[in-house]
Amino acid sequence: MTHDQVLSGEFVNLRPLQVADAELTFRWRRAHRARYLNEGAATIQAQAAWIAGRSASEFNFIIELKDGRPVGMLSLINIDMANRHGEPGRFLIGEEASVKGLPVAVEAMKLLYELAFDRLGLVRVCGIVAANNHLMVKWQKFMGMKEEGRLRNHLRQDGHYHDAVYLGLLVQEYRTATLQRMKAMIAVARPVTEKNS
Amino acid sequence: MLDKNSVQEIIFQALNNINDERGPDEQIELGPETRLFGTDAALDSLSLVSVVVDVEEAVSGVSGRQISLTNDRAMSQTVSPFSDVSTLTNYILLLLSEA
Repeated sequence: MTHDQVLSGEFVNLRPLQVADAELTFRWRRAHRARYLNEGAATIQAQAAWIAGRSASEFNFIIELKDGRPVGMLSLINIDMANRHGEPGRFLIGEEASVKGLPVAVEAMKLLYELAFDRLGLVRVCGIVAANNHLMVKWQKFMGMKEEGRLRNHLRQDGHYHDAVYLGLLVQEYRTATLQRMKAMIAVARPVTEKNS
Repeated sequence: MLDKNSVQEIIFQALNNINDERGPDEQIELGPETRLFGTDAALDSLSLVSVVVDVEEAVSGVSGRQISLTNDRAMSQTVSPFSDVSTLTNYILLLLSEA
């Protein structure tokens, strides 16, 4: 697997996460909006060490707007080439004000799915989302993920235990449903003149 | 049949569901001219999907009609249905007026 590749889209690019992103991603991870992810590093130095220690089998990306502004992060981890499945994760929009009106989350995930299904040949992606992260659960299901189970008291947030939902998407579902929905949501953001041309 | 006010209330409720997830300083102000998606929008794409899902479900529940807000027709409108609350209201009323 190569990890120096940039995945290029219409509104965003995914570029490899670097140690130099430690301060930025540390700030994102400490923000209120990251409360549904695990606690993460306690210092910028620890965040840098965490980035430096990422396994070569993981794809960890920074989501950038086309003008180069970093706005979030997304990963494909736990890749099992024998059984051809992997886990999208560490999905976080860090700069919410910069992504209003833009299909950043949708296109970032579309690029990650293209990597997973088209380039790596995976047949399934799956992972957990905090059950109380209602927007993300709703979003993932709209994009085609199926709920395959519920993990009781699986996540600890702010001193309390919460359920997680286990979500999965098969390559056939991606090709027949998810891709069309993603393209539609990206099309919403195109200027009218572009649609008519 | 749903009227304009009823459809608008459904959209406001969908936006309130997003406000429930946001902090006090991040609340979306509700009104017919509230920008949804595109320039000066109130929503990111995560929140837009939430609005689409909640509005489709609510319209179906009240009217008994299934509507799709993200098919090719919606995406090819000269004015995006998601420009603001008013355009989304009018687009839903158009869909409901068709047999």
